[in-house]
Amino acid sequence: MENKQKGLTRRDFIRGTVGATLAVSVLRVLWAKGSEKAVGPSLVTVVRDKNVMDAGLKVNSNILQSMLDRTVLQVTGKRKIREAWADLVKPDDIVGLVPTPHLNPTHEELVDVVKASLMKEVGIPEKNIIMAQGGKRKPGRCTALISMPALKGHWLTGIGTVIKNYIMYSGRPSNYHQEKSAKLGEIWLIPEVKSKTRLVIVDAIHPLCDKGPQSDPRYKWAYNGLIAGTDPVAVETVCLKILTEKRHALRGEPWPISPPPICVEAADKVYGLGTSKMEEIKIAHFGWEEDLLLG
Amino acid sequence: MTKFYLKTVSYFVAIMIIPLSLKGISAEMTEKTVNLPKSMGVWTRSDSARIIDSSNIFHYMNGGGELYLAYGFDHLEVNEYTADRQDTILVEVYVMNTSDDAFGLLSLDWGGEPVTFQSTVSVPFKPTVSPPARALYGGGLLRLWADTIYARVMAFRETAESKEAVLSLGQKIAAKRNMPGEPELLKVLPKAMGSDWKLRKDRIGYFRSHLVLNSLYYLSHQNILNLDHSTEAVTAPYENISNAGISKRVQVLFVKYATPGRARKALDNFHNAYLHEHRKGFDPGVAKRHMNSFNIEDGWLGYSLDGMCVVIVFECPNRESAQMIIKQISCSTINRENNHGK
Repeated sequence: MENKQKGLTRRDFIRGTVGATLAVSVLRVLWAKGSEKAVGPSLVTVVRDKNVMDAGLKVNSNILQSMLDRTVLQVTGKRKIREAWADLVKPDDIVGLVPTPHLNPTHEELVDVVKASLMKEVGIPEKNIIMAQGGKRKPGRCTALISMPALKGHWLTGIGTVIKNYIMYSGRPSNYHQEKSAKLGEIWLIPEVKSKTRLVIVDAIHPLCDKGPQSDPRYKWAYNGLIAGTDPVAVETVCLKILTEKRHALRGEPWPISPPPICVEAADKVYGLGTSKMEEIKIAHFGWEEDLLLG
Repeated sequence: MTKFYLKTVSYFVAIMIIPLSLKGISAEMTEKTVNLPKSMGVWTRSDSARIIDSSNIFHYMNGGGELYLAYGFDHLEVNEYTADRQDTILVEVYVMNTSDDAFGLLSLDWGGEPVTFQSTVSVPFKPTVSPPARALYGGGLLRLWADTIYARVMAFRETAESKEAVLSLGQKIAAKRNMPGEPELLKVLPKAMGSDWKLRKDRIGYFRSHLVLNSLYYLSHQNILNLDHSTEAVTAPYENISNAGISKRVQVLFVKYATPGRARKALDNFHNAYLHEHRKGFDPGVAKRHMNSFNIEDGWLGYSLDGMCVVIVFECPNRESAQMIIKQISCSTINRENNHGK
């Protein structure tokens, strides 16, 4: 039988042939490359505090600071906060902070506490901490990046959190929508970005579980968490799990993220940025347990 | 002399025509533009609305602009209402080319609390296939459809006061507007099929683009059904209401093309992309009507080509149900066309 199939379809997801089809149709590279993948399970921390945000959506910076401290201790396995930060960045690093400005923006309070910690715990001067969201010149100036997206879906790529957070570094963001969103992982490998990401810390204080394109408050909820790790794909995979579980809980029936977020598996299998397999991820959870959505 | 004469006549014609043209444009803008009050409760808006069109919509909302361009989009008017010690209320009025386009945007999510606005225009009661709501509110966000307008009015923080202001602004937007019915295309969807399958009204979506289809029911990242602004489509699930232990839900997709030729070509393209290992059983060059069903990974898929229309049903538990559903939807279309012809 003549094979006329050219693009990715629903059937590929059911058959489990997404990778093979994408490799041929879009990526034109071998699936399962695995270049930068860590050996052993990837650690993802989920730190939550019920009181970090009040009913008026105001974030308590003191509580957030404690959550951040707990996060870096667990991610690095160190006993002291100063040692933990020193394990991630050096005093002479030029650190780029990369929050998300659109749809469900990263809380400014999170950016502030990260910046304060870098200054206090590592001794990085303020001038060497850069707001690095934007064109590729910004990461080019940095020796280290801390990716700080907020947790949210995206109507063209399914999820718009970790892997998509560097899309502006491509200089051609519209080239990474729809099927080509599978290529988002390649942006993490451009010279200005490659190997610079020391920490991924997702603002999951007030996530958005629907895909937009504009914010709908019915689909935002107080998760009151920070999700973090050094493996961006593992962090994204845990984020995806939380979004999916929340959607099912809201409707009381299956409500899959649509279109399916093909960038996550491709980031693993093609670009070797980390693991997208839940069985290869160790989740360490601390704090508030209600509606954890990781069951 | 002749040159001078022609020049004079040209000026005269221009002087006569330009004001007439401007009057026409002005009348059109007045018709399509919403006059919002300067203040609502404690909130006050700036003097003029920000006007967004297809040339700058991506600057305004990044890739989100694709959604509105996927329908017939004319322009967007954005107003922000601010107040001391209150969060902003954002009013986005999307002026679409047709009422159907505005309906389509509302149909993407039927969730929320239905809101009824008083209208000075009398609306004859007509039963609807979709939920009867023209406005839906939830969590501080009001979404409404009024003639060619789709609007989003959002309080960034919901309070009793902001809810009242949001609903009052919605009333102002909807007032004095015509209230056309839902798109005719929806009539192809029977409320029930056989004794087993019942329409999920709250999941009906009306659209013209594969991007929107994928946000409702993922089919392919590529436009394998050749959807564009000349097509209109509706999709909805039907739920099994019997206790026969068969699959819970099937998904129906109905697309109407501009010509039978385009419908044929689209079905051919769909078959090649989605069912490439199965025999087509029809000649895309000549077929006017054709029906077929296929057993694939998630159940039986049935399709039919019927003049300008293509019907596809996904995830059926068996061949019989796929064929039964396809026949019912095709028949509805034919009946409607026949009735219109009488």
